[in-house]
Amino acid sequence: MTSYRLESGGLIDRQSRLSFTFDGKRMLGFAGDSLASALLANGCQLVGRSFKYHRPRGILTAGAAEPNALMTIGQGGRTEPNTRATMQELYQGLEAASQNRWPSLDFDIGSFNSLLSPFLGAGFYYKTFMWPAAFWEKVYEPFIRKAAGLGKASYEKDPDTYEKAWAHCDLLLIGAGPTGLAAALTAGRSGARVILVDEQSMIGGSLLSDTARIGEASATDFVLTAKAELESLSNVTILTRTTAFGWYDGNVFGAVERVQKHVAIPNAKAPVERLWRIVAKQALLATGAEERPLVFGGNDIPGVMMATAMRSYLNRYGVAPGRQVAIFTTNDSGYALALDLEARGIVPVAIVDSRAGGNPAYTGKARIVKGAVVSDAKGGKALSSIVILKDGRTENLKVDALAMSGGFSPVIHLACHRGGKPVWSDAEAAFLAPQQLNGLQIAGAALSTGNGIAACLSEGAAKAAVLVSEMGFACTAASFGAVEGDMSARPEKPLWSVPGVKGKAFVDYQNDVTRKDLGLAVREGYGHVELAKRYTTSGMATDQGKLSNINAIGLLAEARGISPGDVGTTTFRPFYTPVSFGALAGAYHGTHFQPVRKSPLHEWAKKTGAVFVETGLWYRSSWFPRDGESTWRESVDREVLNIRKNAGLCDVSMLGKIEICGKDSAEFLNRVYSNAFLKLPVGKARYGLMLREDGMIYDDGTTSRLSDEHFFMTTTTAYAAGVMNHLEFCAQALWPDLDVRLASSTDQWAQMAIAGPKARTTLEKIVEEDISNAAFPFLAAKEVSLCGGQLHGRLFRISFSGELAFELAVPAGFGESIADALMEAGREHGIQPYGVEALGVLRIEKGHVTHNEINGTVVPGDLGFGKMVSQAKPDFIGKAMVGREGLVSADRPQLVGVLPLDPKTSFRSGSHILAKGAAATLENDQGYITSSAYSPHVGSTIGLALVKSGSTRHGEEVLVWNGLREEFTPARLCNPVFVDQANEKLHV
Amino acid sequence: MASLIPCPHCGKRPKEEFTVKGAVLDRPAADATPNAWMDYVYLRDNPRGRYDEYWHHTSGCRRWLVITRDTATHEIEASRDAALARE
Amino acid sequence: MSEFRITLRPALGSVTSIVSENIALTPLPEGHVVHVLGKPGDEALAKRLGSLSDGSAHAVRAAGPGQWFIVGNAAKSHADMTALFEALKPDAYGVDQSQGRVRMLASGPMVERMLAKGTAVDLSLTQFPLGHSTTSVIGHIAAHLTRVADDAFEIMVLRGFAESLWDDLAHMSAEFA
Ligand SMILES: [Zn+2]
Repeated sequence: MTSYRLESGGLIDRQSRLSFTFDGKRMLGFAGDSLASALLANGCQLVGRSFKYHRPRGILTAGAAEPNALMTIGQGGRTEPNTRATMQELYQGLEAASQNRWPSLDFDIGSFNSLLSPFLGAGFYYKTFMWPAAFWEKVYEPFIRKAAGLGKASYEKDPDTYEKAWAHCDLLLIGAGPTGLAAALTAGRSGARVILVDEQSMIGGSLLSDTARIGEASATDFVLTAKAELESLSNVTILTRTTAFGWYDGNVFGAVERVQKHVAIPNAKAPVERLWRIVAKQALLATGAEERPLVFGGNDIPGVMMATAMRSYLNRYGVAPGRQVAIFTTNDSGYALALDLEARGIVPVAIVDSRAGGNPAYTGKARIVKGAVVSDAKGGKALSSIVILKDGRTENLKVDALAMSGGFSPVIHLACHRGGKPVWSDAEAAFLAPQQLNGLQIAGAALSTGNGIAACLSEGAAKAAVLVSEMGFACTAASFGAVEGDMSARPEKPLWSVPGVKGKAFVDYQNDVTRKDLGLAVREGYGHVELAKRYTTSGMATDQGKLSNINAIGLLAEARGISPGDVGTTTFRPFYTPVSFGALAGAYHGTHFQPVRKSPLHEWAKKTGAVFVETGLWYRSSWFPRDGESTWRESVDREVLNIRKNAGLCDVSMLGKIEICGKDSAEFLNRVYSNAFLKLPVGKARYGLMLREDGMIYDDGTTSRLSDEHFFMTTTTAYAAGVMNHLEFCAQALWPDLDVRLASSTDQWAQMAIAGPKARTTLEKIVEEDISNAAFPFLAAKEVSLCGGQLHGRLFRISFSGELAFELAVPAGFGESIADALMEAGREHGIQPYGVEALGVLRIEKGHVTHNEINGTVVPGDLGFGKMVSQAKPDFIGKAMVGREGLVSADRPQLVGVLPLDPKTSFRSGSHILAKGAAATLENDQGYITSSAYSPHVGSTIGLALVKSGSTRHGEEVLVWNGLREEFTPARLCNPVFVDQANEKLHV
Repeated sequence: MASLIPCPHCGKRPKEEFTVKGAVLDRPAADATPNAWMDYVYLRDNPRGRYDEYWHHTSGCRRWLVITRDTATHEIEASRDAALARE
Repeated sequence: MSEFRITLRPALGSVTSIVSENIALTPLPEGHVVHVLGKPGDEALAKRLGSLSDGSAHAVRAAGPGQWFIVGNAAKSHADMTALFEALKPDAYGVDQSQGRVRMLASGPMVERMLAKGTAVDLSLTQFPLGHSTTSVIGHIAAHLTRVADDAFEIMVLRGFAESLWDDLAHMSAEFA
């Protein structure tokens, strides 16, 4: 016989039929069903194959701890493996497939693994496959992967969206059973901001499966009344289908809401899952208790089920587990099930109670066998009989369903996420949450397994009242009238080792860990709880030992002759239940993976034909191809030559820009730059070097004095944010006595470099002021009026290319218009746009450094900037350390130019320099090429390099060695400036 | 997943809004001994427990803070503005 | 040479506003944004700033200790901007960020829910009252938020990130629109 749907009862809507498939077979269920209850209602008890041995497995629980009924739900990109059927709501058209079976669930070849079980026992990873090593990749791993495993992820793109959200509350209630509901009503009525989360599709928790009466109402009606009131309170937020999975610093709780995991086709505008980060002033853990399995032979045969789960299927879903039902219990909870079964006309064939004493208030008709155990269950794909052992005698009993209850463990996972360890209680025979947690309290059955409904209600209300009263809300604990039919599972002496076991007795269902495996672990010296976990794999994988850990610890304790408290637990870490990668990524994937930062000249560059390159978050113009150019080099060479001959315009808006104001801003700059700034005249720009305290160069750039108390700094693009943070650190933390105020204005300005012999004549058409060499010499800087006073900008006579050059900054929104005007103005002079590739070539030709050279290991002297380290200034960042012995020694790597001996040959950046004739070994390494490019001006590849004592080796023949590509290029070291070494062009 | 840092100006904010720099140390005088500078630049205590650190509220008020944090529990005992704390 | 007509390209010139009962999102005019660099704790300055603004509600916004933004929908001429900078002296310095920051308005009954998808700031009216301002990350982008009505926030962001933030906000609004 099998499980079946009862004629009436349950919180299901029998008018609303839903069809679904399981392994392609069409079945019917009702709205309100879980996939598990619908399968049971269809008589489908065999739902999966176990991890290692491929044993037939059935539905064990009705909740989050389910280790067996893991299914793959959905198709294509929506495929979701390892979904617990007990947590999956049924919907019309749901497609479920069993896992870990081949070719079919019913006939599974992998079950021959059972015959191999001697090799797959504890430590099999360690022992069986030790050698030869080559076999790992080719034999062992594919074998294990094929034979043992869970569901398979889809390779297709997930079509659904996910998101993250923050929430804030005075009181967070985790779990909406009797404790959480009482707390929510109490705190909600006070006006406090309350968030109530529960993993089920509706609030109520265990009350949804209970037949007790509260204040004369059925448990279900009580829940519905509470729900209506809570929904009417605007200060209460109810999050159902939401699992609180972690407790984090700052009293932040992580929770995942399955917004649309219960529909076939989600609304595309809303996420399917939402990851909540809930900031709670206080939280109450009302997660209840988890029933423990009993470790007897064949305790995994389909038809064996947890007692509370059986109650859920009976009462909430209207599903009977079978017709000949036995109950194996160590405590009173089994009797509550017996009464519920009898109310449905199913008198249990036996209640096997491990206690010789024990006197539950039971008035039913079932046969009670006291002081006895079920030592073995029998059957293949379905349970057929059990063996009862009492006083050394065995009795076989035909059954088709067996409920088991080994007592309860408080669900305290979250309470242990911030370092607290569970505490063993002999009185509770359970691990309890650590005491005195900051911001989190425990109530109800999560605090003590002896708490029945009445105790949960009063404790939830009382604790909530205290918590919100302490926050200043006027609050009294809600009261709920008498509870009838309250069955409290008083803690009893736990039964770890069931006597007389013959068959495989599973401790960890999901990982196929048996009682024998644990014994073996202890015998082989892996008895420590953390070792036993790794050795046996007990408590691993998706369920993380929700059901199994306690039995594993109990068995280890028995085997070692110590208390479970001395064995201790493994560390509880987030997540309580698995969280999808989709939820963790949220909306941040695809085009939303990271922000895009666009230059104010982006659209100008686009319409001008730029090819873009991502640099950090920016999109920069690389080059501007023209018709007939087939390679990027052709475009770049043209742009470079045109600048040296005519003029070019380049977007340099990405440079960091910082406004520095205040009476002490000159003194401030004097302290953050290694060179002098105190006496920089108004209207002048100066190149500055910024060091780190260890003396290495941090960044470089130009800073202009716009007025006595106002400077304008530019930084490199890459270090813009870092330099701003650094300056703020200097201003706020190091020298708060200086009057200096900083503002980033990077985004305010569209900045353009206009370079080339025709730069001035081009600019003169739009700049109102006199910018002749006399009026506006090299390193001049000032505000200018543009296009007849329509706009004001800042003009700087600075040059990265070595040509006559200017940088013009204009308010960002007008950048495109000004760039258009400049291109128009320069048309007759042959102006062309150029990108960062040409910019790079120009600066290498001129021997200008970037962060390729400023690589964190160079001091100013290495780059020929020794004179920029002020000896006169009393203090600046880096002063104390830049003069250290090793940083001034003669064999420091120093900047040099590199030219191939044969102009037709070339070398790459990153290649190393060897002295001529030296063997290609690291010992002979003289330095490396930091930057290289083809120089159309020189007519060959050129390079900059950091070479030992480089400044004294100009003219020396060397070998450029690329060890990765085995390339060798004879070359000559030279002056790093390839263009206009006298700097005449800058001053025309 | 989440961690909140209290800013004296902005309230509790996720750590992603901040940049942490490390130990709060007094910058030696320019003419201090090389040893004093070595200590300042390179040597750090690594205490288990209370530790004063500089944190910058980069994506917030842009103030540098001195945060007293327990390195073992991540409990934050105090948070103050680095400039204003000196006065 | 003044034959070139200089025109503004608004950072959010190509986006489509979201208009619905529950959520609305719209770019605001690129008027003026003046970054005021004062001294932390200068209460007198804070009081004086209102008179330097265009007088509209919430024109002066706190931006960290000793700093404020003065904002408005009308662009300021160079002369007006210069005059404002002069008026700020000697207590404070003004920095023109009119083009560096882009403003947008998010409003509607679901606006707090929408923004909570990006920011950890508690936006409930009691914690974040009318006129209150702060800077926080929205998703991955730092932005300055001001409550301008019970159900409306102005969001100000660096120009370079404006389109990206708009895309994020539009995505966050989708389920309510
Ligand atoms: Zn802050």
